[in-house]
Amino acid sequence: MKFLEVKNLSYKLGNFKLDNINFNVNQGEYFVLLGQSGSGKTLLLESIAGFNKVNGEINFGGVDISKLTPENREVGFVYQDFALFPNLNVRENIMFSQKYKKIEDPEETLLDISDFLGLVHLLERRIENLSGGEKQRVAIARALFSKPKILLLDEPLSAIDPTFRNSIMKFLKDIHRRYNLTTIQVTHNFREASYLADRIAIVMKGQIHQIGIASDVLNKPANLEVAKFLGFKNILPTSMIGEDSERLFSVDPNAIFISKDKINYDYVFEGKLEECMGVVDHFKIFIRVGDQQFFAKLLMRDYIGCYADRGESIFIGFDKKDVSYL
Amino acid sequence: MKQNLFLYGLILFSSIILLFLSVPLIKMIFGGDLGILWETFQQEDVINSIFLTMKVSAMAMIFVLITGLPLAYIISRYNFYGKSMIEALIDIPIMIPHTAAGIALLIVFGRGPIADFFANFGLKFADAEPGIMIAMMFLSATYLINGAKEGFNKVDVKLEKVARTLGASPTQVFLRISIPNAKKDIINGCLMMWGRGLGEFGAVVILVYHPMIAPVLIYDRFTSYGLAHSAPVAAIMIVISIFIFLSVRFINNRLK
Repeated sequence: MKFLEVKNLSYKLGNFKLDNINFNVNQGEYFVLLGQSGSGKTLLLESIAGFNKVNGEINFGGVDISKLTPENREVGFVYQDFALFPNLNVRENIMFSQKYKKIEDPEETLLDISDFLGLVHLLERRIENLSGGEKQRVAIARALFSKPKILLLDEPLSAIDPTFRNSIMKFLKDIHRRYNLTTIQVTHNFREASYLADRIAIVMKGQIHQIGIASDVLNKPANLEVAKFLGFKNILPTSMIGEDSERLFSVDPNAIFISKDKINYDYVFEGKLEECMGVVDHFKIFIRVGDQQFFAKLLMRDYIGCYADRGESIFIGFDKKDVSYL
Repeated sequence: MKQNLFLYGLILFSSIILLFLSVPLIKMIFGGDLGILWETFQQEDVINSIFLTMKVSAMAMIFVLITGLPLAYIISRYNFYGKSMIEALIDIPIMIPHTAAGIALLIVFGRGPIADFFANFGLKFADAEPGIMIAMMFLSATYLINGAKEGFNKVDVKLEKVARTLGASPTQVFLRISIPNAKKDIINGCLMMWGRGLGEFGAVVILVYHPMIAPVLIYDRFTSYGLAHSAPVAAIMIVISIFIFLSVRFINNRLK
C-alpha cells in the first residue's frame, strides 16, 4: 500500500537541481535513498520534511502535504550530527515536542522509549556530556517521542565510530520492527543499505536512477553509472563473451579464477599480467585481454603469489552464473 | 632560547598596552582623596545623573534588544538583495564622529515633521530623556546587533529545522531554540551596548544638555569648576561601570 508518494518533485538550489523525482514508500517499509555525497539525497529528505518549497506533489496517506509546513507533516527527522538542542538536557530534548503536539501519556512514552534505547540513566544529563552513540539514541528517541508517521534518517551512521556501526545498524532495524515505523534513510554506503533496506532508490546528480527491492538494485544495476557507484568491477562489452549485443556485463573480481595453465570455465581468456599488488589478505591482479582489462582478487589463504611475473601470459576464467548484465 | 625571546617580546608589548589602559583608571580610582569621593557620592545631582545614565542606557539597550534581535536573525539566516547595505548601515554609526551623529539626530528629532509627529504623542527629544535614549541607541546599537548576529550564526540551522518537525512554529523555534542557544553572544552584545551607552557624550551633549547624564555632568563640572570637582564624579562613574560590567561578564561566563 502506497503510504508516501513523491510525484514529479523538483527543487533548485543554486546550480543544483532535484529533477523530476518520483517514488513511493509503502507503509512499514524501510526505504533507503542511496547516493554519493552531493547527489541531492539529503536535500530530497529535507524536501519531504518540508524544509524546502518544492514543485510537484508529496502525497502522504492520499493527502498532498507539499504545501504544509514541517510542523504539520508528522515526520521525525534525525540528522547525521544529531542536531540535539544544547540548551536542553536529555529529558527536555526527548520531550521537546510535548509542548507543541498532543502526546498521550507523555511520561509513560518517555519511559518506554528511554528504556528501549537504554537512556533511562542519562535523562538528566547535559547534551555535551554524551558520547556519539548516546547522542544518536537521544536524537532517535526525540523523533520517536513526537509519534511521527514517518521517520527520516540522514546518514545516521556516518558520525559513529566504525567499531560500533554494525551494532547500531542492528539497533536501527530493531527500532523499525518494534515501532513498525515507515522509515526513509539516506546513506552513501551500499553495505548499510543492503543490510537495512527493504527497497532502495539510487540518487545521482539530483535524479533517481533506479528503484527496487534491495537485492535487485544492488545486484542488477540499471546502468553503467549505477554499476560504477555500487562498486561493480570488470564492466565490459558482452561481445567479449560471445553475445551479439551492445550491452555491458560485469563479473565479480572474487569470481575470476587465475592459472598459469589453461583452465575449464564457461568463459576463459588468455591475457598478460599487468600488475599484481599484495593488500593485507589478498592480491589485486590486473590482466590485459586485448584492449580490455580484467581485475581479479586472489585471497592469500587460497594462494600466495601472483601466478606470473608482470608481462607474462596468464589464463583467467569465470562461469555464466557470475555474470551480471547491465 | 629563540622561543623564550619571542615570548618575552610578546609579554613586553602586551605590558605596554595593558599599562596604558589600566594606569589612568587606577590613578582615577585610587589617586584621589577618599573623603572627597564619598562626599561627592552623596551629592544629589551626582547620584541623579549616574542613575539617569544607567537607566536610559538600559532602556536604549532593551529597545534595541526587541528591535535588533529580529534584524540580527534576518541577517544571519537569509540572503537577500541589499543585505550588505544593511550590514554597512548597522556598522556606520561606530565610524562617524559622535558630535556629527548628535547634529544629525537634532536635525531629525529636534525639529521638523518627525519631531512634530512624536510631539503629538507627548514625546520630546531635545533636552529630554528620550533624546538621550536615541543618541545612545544610534551610537551603540551596532554592538548589540552584531553580537546577536554572531550568536545566531553559531546556532546550527539544523537545530531549528528539527524543532519544526517536532511541532514548533517559527516563532516558537526562535524563542526556544535560536535565542537560548545564542544567549551568550546576545548578552555580551547587550553588555557592550549598555556599557558604550554609559560613556556616550558627544551626541547627547548636542541633543540634551539637561537633564545631565554623568558624562555631561563631568564635562560641565570640569569646564565650570575645574579638575578637582570633576575627577571624583568620573571616578565614581568608572567604579560603578567596572563593577557592573565585571558582574554581568562573570555571570555570562558561567552560563552554559
